[in-house]
Amino acid sequence: MSTLVLRRVRHSIVLLILASILCFGLVVSAPGNIAVLIAELRTPGATFEDIRKIEEEIGLNDPLPLRYFDWLGGALQGDFGISYKTGEPVGKAMASRLSTTAILISGGSLFGLLLSFALGFAGAMRPYGLIDSMTRSLALLGASMPSFFVGAMLTYAFAVELRLLPSFGLSGPASLVMPWITIGLLPAAVLSRVVRVGLEEAMSKPYAITAASKGLAKRTILFRDALPNMAPTYINAWGTQTALMVVGSIVVEPLFAWHGVGDLFLQGVRFRDFMVVQACLLIFITFFITLNLLVDIGMMLTDPKLRRQGA
Amino acid sequence: MATSRRQFVLGGLATIALPIIPGSIAVAMADEGAETVRFAIQKPAGDLNPHIYSGLWGVQDLIFEPLVKYGRGGTFEPGLATAWEIEDDGKRLRLRLREGVTFHDGTPWNADALKWNFDRWIRLDDHSWINFARLFDGLTIVDPHTVEIAFKEAPLGLMFELSYVRPVRFLSPASVADDGTYRDPVGTGPWNLVSSDSAESVLERYPDYWGPKPAFERLEMKVLPDSRNRMAALRAGEIDVTGGDFLAPINATEAKTLKEAGVAVEIAPGSTTMILGFNPDRSKALADDRVRKAISLGFDRNAVSTVLFAGFAQPAGSIFIGSVPLAGTQFDADKRDVAEAKRLLDEAGWTGSPLRSKDGEDLSIELVVSEEQIIGSRSVAEVMQAQLKEIGIDLTIRSVDHASRHSDIPARKYDLAFFLTFGAPYDPYGTVVSYFLSTYDNGVDGKLYTDAEILDPLLLSAMGASMADSEKALQAVYDWLHENTAIAPVLFLPSIWAHSERVESFEPPATEYDTPYEKISVNRS
Repeated sequence: MSTLVLRRVRHSIVLLILASILCFGLVVSAPGNIAVLIAELRTPGATFEDIRKIEEEIGLNDPLPLRYFDWLGGALQGDFGISYKTGEPVGKAMASRLSTTAILISGGSLFGLLLSFALGFAGAMRPYGLIDSMTRSLALLGASMPSFFVGAMLTYAFAVELRLLPSFGLSGPASLVMPWITIGLLPAAVLSRVVRVGLEEAMSKPYAITAASKGLAKRTILFRDALPNMAPTYINAWGTQTALMVVGSIVVEPLFAWHGVGDLFLQGVRFRDFMVVQACLLIFITFFITLNLLVDIGMMLTDPKLRRQGA
Repeated sequence: MATSRRQFVLGGLATIALPIIPGSIAVAMADEGAETVRFAIQKPAGDLNPHIYSGLWGVQDLIFEPLVKYGRGGTFEPGLATAWEIEDDGKRLRLRLREGVTFHDGTPWNADALKWNFDRWIRLDDHSWINFARLFDGLTIVDPHTVEIAFKEAPLGLMFELSYVRPVRFLSPASVADDGTYRDPVGTGPWNLVSSDSAESVLERYPDYWGPKPAFERLEMKVLPDSRNRMAALRAGEIDVTGGDFLAPINATEAKTLKEAGVAVEIAPGSTTMILGFNPDRSKALADDRVRKAISLGFDRNAVSTVLFAGFAQPAGSIFIGSVPLAGTQFDADKRDVAEAKRLLDEAGWTGSPLRSKDGEDLSIELVVSEEQIIGSRSVAEVMQAQLKEIGIDLTIRSVDHASRHSDIPARKYDLAFFLTFGAPYDPYGTVVSYFLSTYDNGVDGKLYTDAEILDPLLLSAMGASMADSEKALQAVYDWLHENTAIAPVLFLPSIWAHSERVESFEPPATEYDTPYEKISVNRS
């Protein structure tokens, strides 16, 4: 198994480098000149000469490979450069915001996990019954609603009308509820179908039929036999959905005034703050790849077939 | 054991209620804070150093004060200076400084503090766009509370410039590091900064403030980047005030929705004008004033105002609204006149249907729009696109973000574009000089219209005129722009603010660069 893990780690590193090149390319090819915006920040009377000086100063005229390696070299040492907009080290801004995004994604992921199991199991207990139809409808609804709409509806209901929850900020247990539901609802809807379909499939397998013929309760069979068999599929889907929450954070954080990395990324994009955008993308990519690696390892641990393949 | 339907429903409700119940208890237990007023702002206050151009205007305005304050309609009120005399044909300014004023750290405000501040910035190139900085020729301390400032020439719009937020406001000389590096935002203003980060800025009432003290003790400026979130927070009573062009813009639709929901919305005439600019350098058709006039007559400002701006914006015929000092004659806004527009295009040689053409070239024009720059401008562009089609003009809309606009406009990569006048206290001189004088390099702002042969002499004459003659000289500029349809004023934009029911009284500020705390009183019941 260690061979397989090592191979996956190697693949991840290559993927990380390729992704960083792609991101760098996308960022530098975006329209708009950052030097113009920096000049505007320095003085409302900025001239074209000022703009040219800034282009030189921040190395915009350097060859792209040189700019890429300069940035990557710094990033590997934890130096993500200085924000063009605020003049602060990007690493410092990231560090102060990472915990916010971590709270959002971990909470949303947990919510997604719990709700998906609740809905999936409820449906699997009585397939094609009323509850199954209801959970199926709920899943369809959840998967169809974009997170900004979910967030707006929750805010309207629980903050504006009922005044039960705060509409913004990260200031205690109450402030966690709506952002977690907003970011976790869509993954929960998708994952609930994975659970439901996975359990149904497992329940049709000979070992489940044998267990039922021995008189074991359906719930026992679901938990003891079906669940471990669908675990690799679920872990894979859960990992993908959690990784995609990084994208969701870009929408959900500003929606609830959570000042995390997603919010920072959005600000960076608006200002063409390359240093901020590149640093955020690198963090997102690293998270995505690391989570996928962990998911692969998790799948190997839960799936004997994969373990044997690795060996 | 099978799960019953009742168990399922109860279980589902419990799952939802579990996090909400403790959350709502926490909300109920939160301190209402009657002595606190909470503003929603769109972005963090940032670096509040008053001598650079980085921080949020509205927060800087609370901490730092000017020598003179810009009042409604362009009147000047005493600030850190109680009296001022302009002598020697405008080349000398004598200021009497207010006595008994201290910075938040206890440092006294006096002539030395003024000189220390001027020495920090006035000779730097970054600030040469300010006339009195560029023409500064020395400062003499007459006594601890009187100074005389000499200029090489009489600076244009001197009193306006003295009221700006940055870099002309005053920082405590004792607040900087030993090597002179800026450290903390310490001013003489009514509010003392307690903390500031990406989530909020917190200010406390300065107990030794020389002027009328605010009616509440604490001001929290909450950073809410999403406008929907700001509207919800206001309706939920979690914030008290929001609005203003630079603090947290409210668009007309949002204002209407808030009004319908029973939220107090304050709409006052603003001081900025949305103007359609023509670029004859890129589109040959636009070099003909008949085509420009046809475009101006081709779209319906009244409809745009009523439908897209809920009637809060007013159709504009002049470059400045009447409340801007030296705004000149208020010309009637062009009313949509399809027949006249068609006649002008025919006369200019652009014929054919449905799309007009001349010498084998179609009358296709590109309009560059940045919704980030002017909220609602994309919708205005769409109305124009539909209405200009009726007179045979093919209008293409190119939507760009703030960064792209700031690259494309100075590079003149547009046929038509929307511009905003600078607004009080920068106008009229700020807009007139920056947007129209061909020899003035205004970098990122770009030019609205230039004509080195005719318009430049008129502008130079207005810039060099004495105060008594400046009204007439500026009117000559306005008349030329109007008669040649060099620009097409579209709308006078409103100043929109909204506040919660906790706020009993409120008055919009004199300029969009100020934070309107003065007239706020809070319901303590």
